[in-house]
Amino acid sequence: MGTPLLERFVGEARDLLQAAASALLVLEKQATDEAAINDVFRSVHTLKGSVGLFDFPAFTKLVHAGEDVLSAVRDGKLGLTSDLVDVLLDVLDQVGAWVDDIDGTGALAQGADGISKEMTARLRTALPADYGAAQASPVAAHAGDLTRVDWLGAIPEAERLSAFRAAMIGADLQAIEYVPLDDCFFSGEDPFILFRQLADLHSLVVEPTEPWPSMEALDPYRCVLRFRALAAAPPVEIETLFRYVVEQMRIAPISPHALVSVTGGASGSPVYGDFVDQARPLVLAGDWSALKRAVGALLQLTAPALLSASALRWLEAVLTAPAPDKGWVNALIDCIAEGEEDLHPLEPRTPPSADIPNLAAPIPTALGGLSPTAARILQSQRTILGLSLPAAGLASRLDSVARTVENFLASEGLGAAESTAWSAAVDAAMVEGDCAPAIDLLDQWLLVGGDSTEAVIAAVMMAGGDLPRSRPEAGEHLGHEIKQASRILKVDQAKVDALMNLIGELVVSKNSLPFLAKRADEVHGSREMSREIKELHAVIDRLAQEMQSAIMAVRMLPVSEVFDRFPRLVRDVARKLDKHIDLVIEGGDTAADKNIIESLGDPLLHIVRNAIDHGIETAAEREAVSKPTQATVWLRAFQESDQVVIEVVDDGRGIDPEKIKASALAKGVIDEDRAARLSDQEAVNLVLIPGFSTAAKVSDLSGRGVGMDVVVTGVEKAGGSVTVTSKTGEGTTVRLSLPLSMAVTRVMVVEAGGGMLFGIPMDHIVETVRVHRDNVRRFKQAEAFVLRDAVVPLIRLDHLLGEQSQVWFGDGSEEDAVLVVRVGGNMVGLMVDNFREGMDIILKPFDGILSCIQGYSGSALLGDGRVLLVLNLKELL
Amino acid sequence: MNQLKSRERTIREVSKATARVLVVDDGITQRMFYRSVLETAGFVVEEAVNGMEGYEMALIHPFDLLIVDINMPKMDGYAMMRMIRSDAAVRMVPAVMVSTEGEASDVVKAFEAGANYYLQKPVQPDELTDVARMIAGVAL
Repeated sequence: MGTPLLERFVGEARDLLQAAASALLVLEKQATDEAAINDVFRSVHTLKGSVGLFDFPAFTKLVHAGEDVLSAVRDGKLGLTSDLVDVLLDVLDQVGAWVDDIDGTGALAQGADGISKEMTARLRTALPADYGAAQASPVAAHAGDLTRVDWLGAIPEAERLSAFRAAMIGADLQAIEYVPLDDCFFSGEDPFILFRQLADLHSLVVEPTEPWPSMEALDPYRCVLRFRALAAAPPVEIETLFRYVVEQMRIAPISPHALVSVTGGASGSPVYGDFVDQARPLVLAGDWSALKRAVGALLQLTAPALLSASALRWLEAVLTAPAPDKGWVNALIDCIAEGEEDLHPLEPRTPPSADIPNLAAPIPTALGGLSPTAARILQSQRTILGLSLPAAGLASRLDSVARTVENFLASEGLGAAESTAWSAAVDAAMVEGDCAPAIDLLDQWLLVGGDSTEAVIAAVMMAGGDLPRSRPEAGEHLGHEIKQASRILKVDQAKVDALMNLIGELVVSKNSLPFLAKRADEVHGSREMSREIKELHAVIDRLAQEMQSAIMAVRMLPVSEVFDRFPRLVRDVARKLDKHIDLVIEGGDTAADKNIIESLGDPLLHIVRNAIDHGIETAAEREAVSKPTQATVWLRAFQESDQVVIEVVDDGRGIDPEKIKASALAKGVIDEDRAARLSDQEAVNLVLIPGFSTAAKVSDLSGRGVGMDVVVTGVEKAGGSVTVTSKTGEGTTVRLSLPLSMAVTRVMVVEAGGGMLFGIPMDHIVETVRVHRDNVRRFKQAEAFVLRDAVVPLIRLDHLLGEQSQVWFGDGSEEDAVLVVRVGGNMVGLMVDNFREGMDIILKPFDGILSCIQGYSGSALLGDGRVLLVLNLKELL
Repeated sequence: MNQLKSRERTIREVSKATARVLVVDDGITQRMFYRSVLETAGFVVEEAVNGMEGYEMALIHPFDLLIVDINMPKMDGYAMMRMIRSDAAVRMVPAVMVSTEGEASDVVKAFEAGANYYLQKPVQPDELTDVARMIAGVAL
C-alpha cells in the first residue's frame, strides 16, 4: 500500500466509520440523544478532515454531503427517520468499501465518481428545500478559493472591460477556474452548459490542459479542457450551480483593479499632452461628466491599437462608476501622459477597503516586501487586537500577540529597531489598558489606514493560496520513518505472534532444567549443583509465566470488537422481517485472545440471525400469546474460570423438542427407538448435529440449508463448545464456551502403544476411570462398559492408532485405564496404557508433508526433549 | 538528504533552541501529518487528542506554539484556547487554530477564543511550515 500516512488514514477511517454507525443506531432509537448526535457528526467531520489530505474527490464529496445532512440533524432542522438512517448507513457502507479499496490498491474503485454523485444526490434530497441556500457557505469553503489568478491578463481587453464596467456599478466579480474530470462526459456533466447557465458571464476562456495529441491518438471522449471565466455573480449563485463539481472548480473574488492592464503601441502625438492638461483640473474639480466627454472625444481620434487608446478605454470604464476612484483616474491619465510604459495590473492608489492583494508577489509593507503568509500573520494580529474584548481579556490577549509578533520579527530576521518599537508599543498598550498603540504600529507596518478587520478576515480565509493545491503532495511528503502517536500502540499482529512463539520456545527450554538437575544429581553426583539448578528453574519459570501472560494480554481484545456489529445487523434484519426487537448487549468488555474473538464472528452471526429469524415470533404472534410485542435478544459475554462464555438469549417461541424429534426421525438422524428415549434437553441438542435444520422453509436470512452444525464446527475449531437450552414458549439460549486463549492448549498426557506418549485436549475429557476387566462387555466386535447406568463404547487407543496391543495390566491390578471423552455429543471410553499428568503446551500444527496426516492436531515439545503428539479425536473417532 | 541536514543545522544555529510544538487534534491522520511536516522542518512535536489533554500538556511543558483543531471530543478547541488564555502561566503562547470551515465568522470565533492565526483544512505542508516557523520565531 501507499505511504504511512495513507495506512494510518485507513485505520482511522475504519474506527470512525464504526463509531459513526454505532452512534447512528443509538440515535435512531433515541433521536434526542445529544451525545450520540455529536459523536456521529464529529466522526464524519474528522473523516472529512482526514480524507482532505489525499486526492480522493469522490470520497471527499460524499463524506461532505453526509456531514451536511448530519449538521442539519444536529441543528434540529431535519428529523432522523429510519429511512434517513438507512441512507446514511448505506453511505457509511460505501465509504467503508472505499476504505477497503484504498487499503488494497491505494485508489478508489472504478466508478466511484458515479456512485458518489448518486449517493450525494440521495443525501441532498433529504435536506429541507431551503437548506441548500443556508448551507451554501460550507460548500464555498470546500470549493477552495482560487488565490492565484495569473491568467487575467490573457483575457481579451474587451471582456475585461465589460467585467470591469459591471464591477464599477457594484457587481461582485468572481474568477472561476474549472478543470472537469477526464471522464466527466460519462457522468453526464456538460461543462459548457454549466457556464452558459451563469447569468452574467463576461469572459470564458477554454483551453486544453495539455497539448493536443495527434489526430490518431486523440480520444474524443476524454475531457482535457480547462475553463476559466469571469462572472459578475454572487459566489453563492456560482456555488449552487457548480455544487456537484465543487472539487474540480475554484473561485476567487476579483478586485476590479486586477483587470486593468494597459497595453498597445506607443504614440507621441501632442494631442495627448493637450488632453492631459485639460483633464487634470477636471479631476481636481471632480467634474466627471466633462472628463467623460473629453475621453469620448479623444477616443474617436485615436487608433484603437495604441497604448493611449487602451488607457482611454479603461479611463472611460473607470468613469462609469457613480463615484470614480481618483487614484485610478490619475494613474490612467499619467499613463496617457507618459505614453510609453505598459501598465498592468494597475495598483489601486487608494486601496478599496475590501481589497487585500492575493497574488503570490511580495506584499509591500513598511518592513519591506513580505510573503503573503507573513503579511497575513501580521494582519491577523492586528485583527485580534481590534476585536472588542472584555477589558479583563486585554492583558492576556496582548501577551500572546506580543509574543507572536516578536517571534515573527525574529524569524523574518528583522532588525532591532522594529523589535524595540514593538515592545515599546506593547508596553504603552499595557499601561494605557488599550491596544491602540500596538494597533497603530501594526497598521503603520502594514501601510493600512483605518480599520480593515473585514479585509483581514477575507485575507485569512484565502490562506493557503500561494501554493498550487496539489493534495497528493501531502501524502507523499512522508517518505521517512515517522514516530507513532503515543498512548495507544497499533502493532502488526505478526510481531506479537513472533513474540508468542519465542515465549513458547522459552517455556519449552526452561522445562529441560529439571531434567538437567536430575542428571546433575544422578550422573554427576553433585546434589548441590542439582539444587541450584532447581532454584534457578523456579526463578526462570516464574519469569517465563509472567512474560507469557503479559504477551497474551497484548493479544487480548474486548468482545465488543465482535458485538459492535450486531446492533446494525439486528436492526437491518428486524426491519426486513418487520419484527420489533430490542438488542441488549452485556459484558462487551470481557476480553479474550484476538484469534478467539475473530473466530466468534461467523458463529455468532449465524446464531443471532437464527434467533431473529426463527426464534422470535412476529408481533401478531407475540400478541396472541400475550407477550410484549417488542422482543428482546440478549448478547452476553462473561468469563467463567479460564473460559469466556458468550450467550445469545432470546425470548421467542423456543425450540419444540417434539418437532425436533419428528424432524430428526424424518431425516434419519436418529431412529425411533432412540427418539422415544431422548429427554427434551437431548432433543433440543439435536439441532447441533450436522445436516440438521429445522427451518420449515429456507429463508433469505438464515438456514441456507446449513444448520447450527456450522456454528459447532467453527466454535470447536477454536477449542470451544456449544450448548443449546430452550423452553417452549419462553425462549432459547445458545451458549458458547471458548478458551481465553488459543496459544496454550491444556492436554492430558496418556501412555499408549507401549510407553508412547500422546496428548489429548482437556476439552474432550469427561473423566478418567479404571474399569475392571470383568466389567468390559463384548458386543460382537465391539466392547463397551457401563458407567453409571450408561453404556459407553470402549475403544482401545492402540488399535485406533494402528499400534500393537500390549499385554499389560496397568499397575498390576486387573483394571484398565479408561479415558472417557465426549466427541460430537457422544461419550466414548478410550482404553489407554496409563494416565500421566495434565499440562499446558504450545501446540504446533504439523506443516509441510506431515500436515495431511489425519488424526493428529499437532505436536509439542516436552521438557526432556521428547515430542508429544496431540490427538485430534474428532478425526480419529 | 544532505540538504535537509544542513537546513536543520541552520535552523538550530540561527534560531533559539529547537522550537516545541503541541499539536491538538482528535484525528490520528491529522496528527501524523502535522508531526511529519513539522519534524521535517526541525520542530519537536508533541500530541494531544482533545482540548482537555492539550490544556494539561500545555501547562506541564513549555511550548513555543500550539496548533489546535476546533471540533474535538471532551473539550473543543475554543474551550481549550479560552482556558489557555486565562491562565497567566501559559497565556502568552502563540496558537494557530485549524478547521475545515472557512467563513469569516469562523475566523473571528477562533480569534476571539484566543488564536493568533487561523488555517483552513486541508492544510498545505509548505504553508504549515511557514506559519509555524514565523509564529514560533524560528528563522529559516
